[in-house]
Amino acid sequence: MEESNEFSYPGLYEVVFMKAEKFINTVLNWGRSNSLWPLTFGTSCCAIEMMTFGATKVDADRLGVLFNGDSPRQSDLILVSGTITKKMARRLLNVYEQMPDPKYVIAVGACNVSGGLYHDSYNTIEGIDRIMPVDVFIPGCPPRPEEFLDAVRVLQKLIKENRSKAQKNGNS
Amino acid sequence: MVTVDKLKKAVKGDIEVLTEEQGLSIIRINNKKLLKKLAWQLKGEFDILYSLTVVDYSPSFELNYVFSNYSNADLFIIKVNIDEKDFSVDSLVDIFNSANWEEREAYDLFGIKFNGHPDLRRILLPEDWPGHPLRKDFKVDDEVRNWTGLDLKF
Repeated sequence: MEESNEFSYPGLYEVVFMKAEKFINTVLNWGRSNSLWPLTFGTSCCAIEMMTFGATKVDADRLGVLFNGDSPRQSDLILVSGTITKKMARRLLNVYEQMPDPKYVIAVGACNVSGGLYHDSYNTIEGIDRIMPVDVFIPGCPPRPEEFLDAVRVLQKLIKENRSKAQKNGNS
Repeated sequence: MVTVDKLKKAVKGDIEVLTEEQGLSIIRINNKKLLKKLAWQLKGEFDILYSLTVVDYSPSFELNYVFSNYSNADLFIIKVNIDEKDFSVDSLVDIFNSANWEEREAYDLFGIKFNGHPDLRRILLPEDWPGHPLRKDFKVDDEVRNWTGLDLKF
């Protein structure tokens, strides 16, 4: 049987289904991007800036980032702030794997970008993107709280445009 | 100062007094077998083993035992030298309870054996770590750099 290269138009039902799926995805992404509940994973000094991020002056709640208890099972976003050692890497993954899909990761500080001060040390890993998919990196040692706000705005934009790592990997 | 006199009497003057002033006394002992005896004498006046630090003067190591008490925050420091022939010293866990984790840390980072310790495991680094990283002769080679441990790959 010959293979035909002719273009065939989709039928009415397929068009309706595609339109509906696109509409539902848009609504879902809008909802998800505006209610990012973070899980705080603070291991060192960047966690101090993360506290300021949630406090009054740099108010995280107005972007929908609500610090609502610290349970991985109710979180969409993990804020990895602080140096991750080789012993801690397994624990970080244990927490990350308990989070429900879709899950997003923000890597805070120079240590999580490239190892930072502890680059080529005997017991730190050089960037957490070696062990888990990271959506947004925040450079700085430590970064200012305003940069957390910027990172959340970038992540919201990525989610609305279907470009976050979770959506690319088909886990949404 | 009363304490130093008492210790000298107990070990028959076999200690070297480096500093002796109000609230701070530093002594050095050359025979490490005296350590436990001195600790028993100190138990009456000092409540806790405040910290235990190790200095690497290769090939010998120097252990600094810092004792303190809650009532007037006096410090009492004992310096012990151990040489390369025998990296071991008596444990003080049965006298001062806070020695437990301090000695585990010294074992973890410097590889010093404490005789009579009830639970001498690594405390900071993973269980199957190669080597003792705070020694001067520790090299960050490819074995250490590529060590990932357990089931994790990165």
